[in-house]
Amino acid sequence: MAELDESLLETLSERSQEQPITAFNGIVRFDVRDGDRVDEWYLTIAKGIVTVARKGGEPDCVVTGDVTTFDAVLSGKANAMAALLRGALAAQGKFILMTALQRLFPGSPGADGLPTAGYAERQS
Amino acid sequence: MSAEVKILDGNTFVVSDDSGDIEASLTDPTGLFSFDTRFLSRWVLTIDGQRLNPLSVDDLQYFETRFFLVPGTGTVYIDAKLSVIRQRAVGGGFHEELTILNHDDKPVDLAVRIEAACDFADLFEVKDDLKKKGEYYTRVDDGRLVLGYRRETYVRETWVSATEACAVDDGGLTFVVHVEPHEQWSTDLHVAIGRDVKGATSGSLKYERHAKKARPNMELSLEKWMGDAPSLDCDWDPLKRTYQRSLVDLAALRFSPLSLPGHYLPAAGLPWFMTMFGRDSIFTSLQALPFASELAHTTLVALGLWQGSRHDDFRDEDPGRILHEMRFGEMTAFEERPHSPYYGSVDATPLYVVLLDEYERWTGDAKLVKALERQARAALAWIDDYADLQGNGYIAYQRRNEKTGLENQCWKDSWDSISYRDGRLPGFPRATCELQGYAYDAKVRGARLARTVWRDPAFAERLEKEAADLKRRFNRDFWVKDGEYYAIALEPDGSKVDALASNNGHLLWSGIVDKSKAKAVAHHLMSPAMYSGWGVRTLAEGQGRYNPIGYHVGTIWPFDNSFIAWGLRRYGFKEEAARIAAGILDAAEFFEGRLPEAFGGYERELTKYPVQYPTSCSPQAWSTGAPLLFLRTMLGLEPIGDHLVVDPALPQGIGRLELLDIPGRWGRRDAFGRGRMDVGSRLRRGAQLGVIKPEKKPRKGKAAE
Repeated sequence: MAELDESLLETLSERSQEQPITAFNGIVRFDVRDGDRVDEWYLTIAKGIVTVARKGGEPDCVVTGDVTTFDAVLSGKANAMAALLRGALAAQGKFILMTALQRLFPGSPGADGLPTAGYAERQS
Repeated sequence: MSAEVKILDGNTFVVSDDSGDIEASLTDPTGLFSFDTRFLSRWVLTIDGQRLNPLSVDDLQYFETRFFLVPGTGTVYIDAKLSVIRQRAVGGGFHEELTILNHDDKPVDLAVRIEAACDFADLFEVKDDLKKKGEYYTRVDDGRLVLGYRRETYVRETWVSATEACAVDDGGLTFVVHVEPHEQWSTDLHVAIGRDVKGATSGSLKYERHAKKARPNMELSLEKWMGDAPSLDCDWDPLKRTYQRSLVDLAALRFSPLSLPGHYLPAAGLPWFMTMFGRDSIFTSLQALPFASELAHTTLVALGLWQGSRHDDFRDEDPGRILHEMRFGEMTAFEERPHSPYYGSVDATPLYVVLLDEYERWTGDAKLVKALERQARAALAWIDDYADLQGNGYIAYQRRNEKTGLENQCWKDSWDSISYRDGRLPGFPRATCELQGYAYDAKVRGARLARTVWRDPAFAERLEKEAADLKRRFNRDFWVKDGEYYAIALEPDGSKVDALASNNGHLLWSGIVDKSKAKAVAHHLMSPAMYSGWGVRTLAEGQGRYNPIGYHVGTIWPFDNSFIAWGLRRYGFKEEAARIAAGILDAAEFFEGRLPEAFGGYERELTKYPVQYPTSCSPQAWSTGAPLLFLRTMLGLEPIGDHLVVDPALPQGIGRLELLDIPGRWGRRDAFGRGRMDVGSRLRRGAQLGVIKPEKKPRKGKAAE
């Protein structure tokens, strides 16, 4: 059975500590499907900081999808909004929380988004 | 295809011919659309196998139309014994009340058929003629026709049903109808979006069956919308019409982002740009601030939510960058297009900070400024960290997505818009001049917010220093000495791209122009090479690429002119600002108050009327907002502290003008003015502002609606 790589969610949590999602509070549950099995992950957002657990309170937003899609989205290989639009992910409840959460997902691997010359100057 | 009839509710809209029929092909942009997807491509009414002939169309509201039809399709008038009315309203799909009236003394038996089909095309496919990759299906389900399309997990469905008994097959609905003499028969047809962008399967319309008073959300809010806006009265009737038209069109252009149900921002244009755009939503929100500040509020929140947070070459995304465009269709869903969202714009990010500050100045809503502090700081950081592609301290653009990204990421986004005086095109990255103005303004305004709201004087000081430095360098590096204006752009090697363009007006608006240079710039803008009599051309006559009907190389853009006038006013050129307002408002009258995106740069003397540039979108949001900004500029409305300052400089022809109940941090205030600016006195045709002295009395019979 394939399982979601927990470290991807941990990375998300770490990223939220570096750059919290402004002023958001709420619980998002990821229902990760693999065949008949559904793994629930609770992402609790408190003042923009995300913590991850297998159990949690009443979710404000539930995002459902299979393990391959979650894996691709959380590792930057696929885009979350595009996955939602094509039905590979489905969100129920407060969509705004999913919008906020997706900002913590990584960019595309190998992206050439290097800071420009001015940036280097300011860092030195 | 005869005349197009468009109605809409949010980003759901119907485009049909003037009999109400839809016969779309993949490249023909008619049908029922929602979230960038076509949900109905065929909708044809026949009676006894005959198509119907349109007598007239009543556009009741922007979401509602009534078609009057008679049998027979000839051009000769037929003394019909039957007439047919289709009354259609949009909302979560559409609803059509079909009524057949029998005017004869004898009863009639009719076979009434509605053919329905759908290709579920993405708007991008409609534009680019692309082929579908998924499978279609139809089924009859509980008396309802289901049209569907599936590609992997992507499913979209349209549900067609009627309130009267009918036979349903894969191609449509058939009614066997008997109508007694001088009686009528009627049914309600429902076209519901069964499976939509959120995967919802409710298929519900914004109506109950037979609840004829139920209407789309938008009508309910239109009355409140109009009531909340300031009321305008003046001696010059066309302005009253234009103002009403602008408010109604702006209401129609409201778009509610998926994340913020019940809140609205201005979409870019109707019908093809009914979505969130960084640049267009910000500019329109700025124009509308004194009239409807909630548009700015939603724009700031929504764009902040989607602010870039990572590096993504396909989407041209960087941390802190404000999006360019959001789309919801199949090609975006499968990452064949980058619009989920796409970030390829370089002006939206500094303009985001400009809007945030201007919004606070008008509304006093420091709470939002505090809530968006992180976003504003990230936007300011983006200017220095990611936009300096030439390594010289100026904002420049070059796409990283070379396949489906945008080549020109400023508002003049066509291929030939940025050129040398002799017509040569510069290389990339390109640093266009107005971008530096926006960056300067963002820093100055960011500093004000840092000092007064975020309580970070050190950050404020740093920004002010950077702004002063940018202004000093800009006035040295972009100034074309032999022409006395600012170059349209800089090349990576520092060469001045020396065409004379309307971008100079945006520089005045931004405040980056040295006082000593402002007069020369204003003089250029009002010179015969730039000012046509209707407005300022995007590119001056005499430049290599000048073409009076070239999209960004000679046409006149009402939106552009509204910011140029604001800029002139900022530097004290009241009369010049009034003259530009007069020209564009005169032009508006030719378009019944609805300014197009652009019109020809021909001299006013030559054409006597503004020649519309052919464009598929009308109304366009920032053209709709232009008259509102002109009102602000002409009345000299300026928030100073908790007060609204009024300093009118109106064209004579307007006569007396009053704008009542202007909302802001002061509550509600009134502004009054009287036309005293002589903006041209050549007597020629009826009451145009730019060419005639004011009449003593308002003209009769042309009162505002």
